[in-house]
Parts: sequence; structure tokens; C-alpha cells
Amino acid sequence: MAALFELGSPRPGLLPVTSADSPSTSDHALVRSAQTGDRAAFGLLYSRYARMVHGILLTRVPPADAEDLVHDVFLQALPRLAALRDASKFPAWLAAIARNRATDFHRRAKGETPLDENSDAADPASSHPAERHAPYANAEAHAVLSAIRSLPDAYREPLLLRLVEGMTGPEIAARTGLTHGSVRVNLHRGMQQLREILGRRASPASSGDL
Amino acid sequence: MNAHANEKSQIPRDDYLWDRSGFPDPEIQRLESLLAEFRHDLDHPLVLPATSLPAPGAPSFLRFLQKGWVFPPTRRLAAAAVILLAIPTSLYFTLRSHNAPPATAYGWNVASLQGSPQIGTQILSANRSAGKLHVGQTLTTDSTSRASLSENDLGEIQVEPDSRLHLLQSAPDRKRIRLDVGTIHAAIWAPPTQFVVDTPSAVAVDLGCAYTLQVAPDGSGTIRTTIGWVGYRLNGRDSFIPAGAMCSTRPAHGPGTPYFEDASPQFREALANFDNAQRSDPTVAKQLDIILRDARPKDSLTLWHLLSRTTGPARVQVYGRLAALTPPPPGVTRGGILQLDPHMLDLYWNAFGLGDISIWRFWEQSSSPNASPSP
Repeated sequence: MAALFELGSPRPGLLPVTSADSPSTSDHALVRSAQTGDRAAFGLLYSRYARMVHGILLTRVPPADAEDLVHDVFLQALPRLAALRDASKFPAWLAAIARNRATDFHRRAKGETPLDENSDAADPASSHPAERHAPYANAEAHAVLSAIRSLPDAYREPLLLRLVEGMTGPEIAARTGLTHGSVRVNLHRGMQQLREILGRRASPASSGDL
Repeated sequence: MNAHANEKSQIPRDDYLWDRSGFPDPEIQRLESLLAEFRHDLDHPLVLPATSLPAPGAPSFLRFLQKGWVFPPTRRLAAAAVILLAIPTSLYFTLRSHNAPPATAYGWNVASLQGSPQIGTQILSANRSAGKLHVGQTLTTDSTSRASLSENDLGEIQVEPDSRLHLLQSAPDRKRIRLDVGTIHAAIWAPPTQFVVDTPSAVAVDLGCAYTLQVAPDGSGTIRTTIGWVGYRLNGRDSFIPAGAMCSTRPAHGPGTPYFEDASPQFREALANFDNAQRSDPTVAKQLDIILRDARPKDSLTLWHLLSRTTGPARVQVYGRLAALTPPPPGVTRGGILQLDPHMLDLYWNAFGLGDISIWRFWEQSSSPNASPSP
């Protein structure tokens, strides 16, 4: 058992010496290293992209499930990473896996029934059974999250990454592979729509300035 | 207050939203604070199974010992527990893989939903309502039969009556079927671009979605997307069909111009006429006028496709209307679009929020030699 604990230790002395260890190592280099079996490189990719994956999942699945699904997404990505020919596509590729994992989550939750236009996956803002019993006390936070999730796909992802995950616009652009322009426009329009939605809602939990 | 003054007054708010610079927007700060409880737990470890990252030339178990399980940050107890489970599991799969037949030997699951679907010469009946479809085999349904086709890593496909399809490829990262005739409903959970359907008049590439694909006896076809989006290609002519939209395709001609199904009847009729007419047809200009007149902002989808399907003054006209409906994002210029600059067209597409086109470019790059339709 002690040996296993040692394997799990983050102490630098137990880490393999790898080019991926530098925080300044590019994502491209990390992807290439991970493709050749470098676990530390994949770990760094995880630390860089987990927030993005979590944010994408959170636009589609209940908050209580998002954290576990982040893990699933990286486990799905790992064996397929070798097939990724262009390392620069890693962000978009990983994001697509996250979106598919969320769709799969809803599909399984519905008992493997085929999707149709009325499914939860088609309407991420719909109420999932797990969500109805989510253990979050803050109703206002849930209301705002729900409002973000009701926005169009292109807006809700960057907005959620910005407001929930705390990423800046440039970080979102870097992590999603989108241009600064696209992210900025989508953040701006998404925030505009969010203000409109929150302005229309007369929630008793709202302080009135939303 | 004029528009310029309005714009100026919003700059500080936008800057804070963008990168937290400038004057802090109290509303955004409040939302950040409110939503922090949903934030990703940075302390959440990632623990991998031992065989998940095969490096060339090194046994995975040795790499496991060599590389360690270090993922930032680590919860040791949780990691150790998973390791204890992972070791026997990985050993099982490692040993199993040495003697296992190729993945394709397992075939895809076929279940009869109605009537008597046929796999090759094997007829599924009430006594035996399930079977396997292997690479190279054909699944056929007659006018009274329906079947479901599933593969764990891919998704599920329902096959409607009077359909015939072949399983062409079933590799871990690439699944390919050929639909000669009939209708399928596909719900795909494999990563985008991994599932491809050849038809006589286009190749359909899943980009993360659920869709219905029909092929008529004359080889023409239609696709309707319900979730995500699909790429449709013949000989370099591409159409992208997002949820709520549809597109037709004809042999030799290739995919037509996609449109949202809730577009006005006049818009749809004019688009069909435009797609079917020769470019020298004098009525084309009139059809284009109707399309542009009736286009709504969401019909930017259609107009974006029309950019590459028009020339000269017609393209200028299309761009003008498109830019009015969806302003070009930063980095996109009128001149660039009129010259069909690929990068600018991609930027413009991404501004619609219908799907990231880099996924399609990735597929193009990795699979273009195989992107031709079935004969």
C-alpha cells in the first residue's frame, strides 16, 4: 500500500523528467508528448483544460454530475488521443467529446431511448431528475445558471466559462481554439441576452438588481 | 443619446467582461460571486487506468511504474483506491488483448424492431430477433421491417423499411457505413467525425448529433438534423446542416443549399429553384431576390453557403444581405469574403454559433482521401 501512496505523490522527485514539466510548455507540445505515452503531459493538459470541460458540461448537465463527467471526458479522450493528427485541434476536439458526453448522459438517463426533438439533450435547460434534487441551497444561483443555460449554444458556453469558471476572454479563446473576436462577440451578446432574461424574471430570491 | 455615445458608454463594461480590465461591472462581479459555487473543483484529481496511454516500445505496466500517477493536484487516498481497482482490470485487458480477435470481428448489434430484417442471408425472426452485422455484410429491411443497429462506442441507428446498408469499417476511431437506399435515424455519441455514411450522392459526416438520412432509389437524398450538426460533401462541395435544418443532395451535383425548416414557403421554394436551375437560367436572379428578401437572421446559414455558390454581382448581393443580418466578426472583411478567403469564411461561420468549423477541417485533413461517395 505504501508503494501505491508513493506513486500518487506529487513530489517532484517521483515525477519523470519530461519536457512537459514546464508551465510554459505549449499545448501543442503537451499533446504530442501525451500521444507518445507521457502521462505527466496528459496530466498537465488535464490541469489546463479541466475548467473548460467542466464549463461545457455544466451548460448541459446538472451541476452535481458535471464534476464526475469531467473525469469521464478525459478518460474517453485518452485512448483516442493518438488518432488526433493535428495537435492544434486538441481544444475543439476535447470540447466536442465533452458535448457528446453530455448528450450521452441524457440519453442514458432516459433509459437508452432514442433521442427526439423533445429530449432533454435537445433542450439542456430542461429539468433533469437529478437536477430537481440538486443539493444546492442557493436558489438564486440556480436561477441564474438556468438562465445562462437557456441561451443559444454559442453564447452560453463562453459566458459560463467566464462567469462560473472564472476564465477571462483570452483564456477562453486559447482553451476553446476560437478566435478572440468570436469569443468577445459571443460574450458580449450572451451577456446582453442574460441581462434581458434576468431583467424579465421577477424571482422572489432576486435582489432586484439582476 | 446617439449610437456612438452609447457604444462608448459600454466599453468599460465590455472590457471587464472580456478580461477583467477597465472599470469593474458590479453586476458581473455579483454574478461571478453568485455562481462560484458551481465552479470546477481544482482539487479534483484525474486518475488514469494503467493501460490507457500506450507508448510505443514500452510495456504499459513498466510505464505505469516509471511515470507514476501524478496529476495535479492529487487526493492520495482516492487515487490509491482507483489504482487498486485499475491494476487487476488493466492486467485483465492486457492479457485479454493478446488473444482477442480484432474488434471488427464482434460486429454491430442488430435487433429487429418490426418484421424480418435480413443480415446477409440470415433473416431475423420472432425466434431469433437479434444478430450481428460484421464488416462487409449488408443489412436489408423490406417494406414491413425495421431494425436497430448499435455499437457501444458509436451510438444507435434505426433502420426504416425498404432500406439497404453495408458496414464498411468499424475501427475504434472510425466507423463507416454505406446507405444505398432507405432511411436511417442516427443518434451518435462517438466523438465528432468518427461516424461517416456514404450515400450515392454525398458523404454524411457526423459532427456530434442526431439526424435522419434518406436515400431515394434514384440516389438522391435528404438529411434532417435534430441535434448538433452534420457535414455533407460531394467532390469538395460542402454543406453544413445544424439542428433544425435540412439539405437535399443529388447524384453528380452534390449537396444543395441547407436551410432551416421553419423558413417561409416562398424562401424554401426559391431556394429549391435556385439549387436546381442552371446558373445561366434567367430566373436565377429572381429566385435569389426572393431568398434574400425573405431571409431572417438565422437564415444566415443559407446565405453563408450561397456565397460560394454565386459569382460576381450575385455574390456581392448575398454578402450585403448576410452582413446586414449577421454582422461579420472581427477579422472578416468584405473583400476577403467576396474572394472566398477560406479563413474568413470559417471565422464567419463560427460567428453563427452553429458549430465550430475547425472540427470539420480536422476531418478534412485526416480523411479527405476517403471522402468520396460510394459509386
